[in-house]
Amino acid sequence: MYWTIIQLSLRELRANKMRTILTALGIIIGVMAVIILVTLGNGFTAQITKEFEGIGQNLIFVSPDSNNGPNRARVVPFDMRDVDAIRRGVPGIEFVAPSNGSGGRVVYGNVNHDTVVIGSTNEYFKVRLWVFEMGREFTEGELAAGKPVCIIGKTVRDTLFGAQNPLGLKIRVENVSCEVIGLLAPKGQTTFGNDEDDRILMPLRTYQRRIVGNSDVATIQVAVANGQDAQAVIDGLRSLLRQRRSVPEGEPDNFSIDQVSAFLGEVQNVLGIMTMFVGAIAFVSLIVGGIGIMNIMLVSVTERTREIGIRLAIGAQQKDVLWQFLIEAMILGLLGGIAGIVIGLGLSVLITGLMGVPFIPSIGIIVFAAVFSALFGIVFGFFPALRASRLNPIEALRYE
Amino acid sequence: MNMQTGTAANMRNATGTQAPLIAFDRVMKVYGHGDAEVRALDGVSFEINRGEFVAIMGASGSGKSTTLNILGCLDVPSAGSYRFMGAAVETLDRAQRAMLRQRYLGFVFQGFNLLKRTTALENVELPMIYMGLSARERRKRAREALAKVGLADRENHSSSELSGGQQQRVAIARALVTNPAVILADEPTGNLDSQRSHEIMRLFSDLNQRLKITILLVTHEEDIAAYAPRHMRFKDGRIASDETRA
Repeated sequence: MYWTIIQLSLRELRANKMRTILTALGIIIGVMAVIILVTLGNGFTAQITKEFEGIGQNLIFVSPDSNNGPNRARVVPFDMRDVDAIRRGVPGIEFVAPSNGSGGRVVYGNVNHDTVVIGSTNEYFKVRLWVFEMGREFTEGELAAGKPVCIIGKTVRDTLFGAQNPLGLKIRVENVSCEVIGLLAPKGQTTFGNDEDDRILMPLRTYQRRIVGNSDVATIQVAVANGQDAQAVIDGLRSLLRQRRSVPEGEPDNFSIDQVSAFLGEVQNVLGIMTMFVGAIAFVSLIVGGIGIMNIMLVSVTERTREIGIRLAIGAQQKDVLWQFLIEAMILGLLGGIAGIVIGLGLSVLITGLMGVPFIPSIGIIVFAAVFSALFGIVFGFFPALRASRLNPIEALRYE
Repeated sequence: MNMQTGTAANMRNATGTQAPLIAFDRVMKVYGHGDAEVRALDGVSFEINRGEFVAIMGASGSGKSTTLNILGCLDVPSAGSYRFMGAAVETLDRAQRAMLRQRYLGFVFQGFNLLKRTTALENVELPMIYMGLSARERRKRAREALAKVGLADRENHSSSELSGGQQQRVAIARALVTNPAVILADEPTGNLDSQRSHEIMRLFSDLNQRLKITILLVTHEEDIAAYAPRHMRFKDGRIASDETRA
């Protein structure tokens, strides 16, 4: 009986293809929007998570802040003694990479390029998970003596040298003539638009002496050893640095300690909230789609008044007519939902492909969309179906 | 449903004894109130037995359509009693009357009233869907019914591909297929030319004589009514004459 009614409904929908498509359009667009937004949200979250893993999830950034109190404006930088004290005094650390850096100009032949110049040690490559495409790290001698050597990122290489092998060539960094000894394997753009490969590294001492002319360390990057508690390391760093920088009891820190994984959690949170919010807006368009179904079903009931009269005259019960229209509305909603899911997933594949974000469909949201679109069909189809079932057969038969 | 338990005794009684199939007892039908009151039927009484072929005639507004609506359990009397197969129809609710139409009444309309975009076979199957018959049983009985009206070769034509006469034959097959106690035909030849009209009437006559189906025919054309042995004429909501040809 119900199977027969489903067949009748399908035939009715097939016979009015244009009307069916237009009616389902609201649901199709709503479901499509929900699917695309959630899939993109998933993709971005995964992408950013992966980038943070690329930075090194167990990484802690330590940087100096301005003092509170009377010397508010003065930022006391770190120096190598702080770095050595951390190496010796804080347990649970695998690597400590001191660094300093700024924007700077590099020149090769008649090519200029503005990039980021960083002075650091070989630990820098370890904590930031850089791999060498060619060449080598700094030697102990180069680091200790502050020799003019540098390691370049792929963007710098492409700009200055094109496809040419850069090793052994001399470039000018600000006023320092520098020999290229290594090339880093590319990491690509971050989601935030930074080009990770647009950088040039030299020994920290070279940077301090030849570029800036001081002995400051701007940032200390600390990699927590595997299996060690990051919070314990943070607590150790904090008490050591408060002591070394003579911060009185009760005063706030004049430095900051940031953990990449904590930041990642925050970013994921924000992305999650955004996805939900935009998803909720898309849900509103589903409701509008449902009202569209109600509208067309009401028109359809009027249009088919005579047909309803025939059915009632030859022995259909009111509930038979009610079910026929209800099932028709449900199928309409479900078909719209399925179409929306298919189109949404298709467009998601396309958009994620264009944006270089991974395509991660969510089964939960697909099932949710299918169930809700059918449910919307039933909810918004109920009133038209009720109206159809309550028609007076005599008047319905007389309807032109 | 309820009707089956509530009136089954009545029906068994009715079929056991030779009570009339249809009995109108001082049936009134009033539309509107006060000054606007219209008496469509004004105390009409008659009986029809199984196997009869009755032509109900009269000018428009004479009450013949109202009578047909009540006979078809589409409407109920304002006063008086209509007994169909022993059941007092005015005491039944909408669902119970729908059940009576489904099981015991077949309708043939002036405008054919087939479903659009639907084949002849599917149109004939329609009432059996609501009876809950299996698809195989529906198909078998629909084929038999179409064969009875001479359309065995038109099963898969949709109604728009059939001529008016053929459409009316499909409608008759649809009315026949449930083996009803009565077929109610409301101006069945009104939309047909004279030749097709007589073909349809010969079919009704044949169904009545060979299959002993009770047929009630509403018409205002004398030559159409001539196929029925009994003529009931309505005038101003009353029966003006009720004659049976010898």
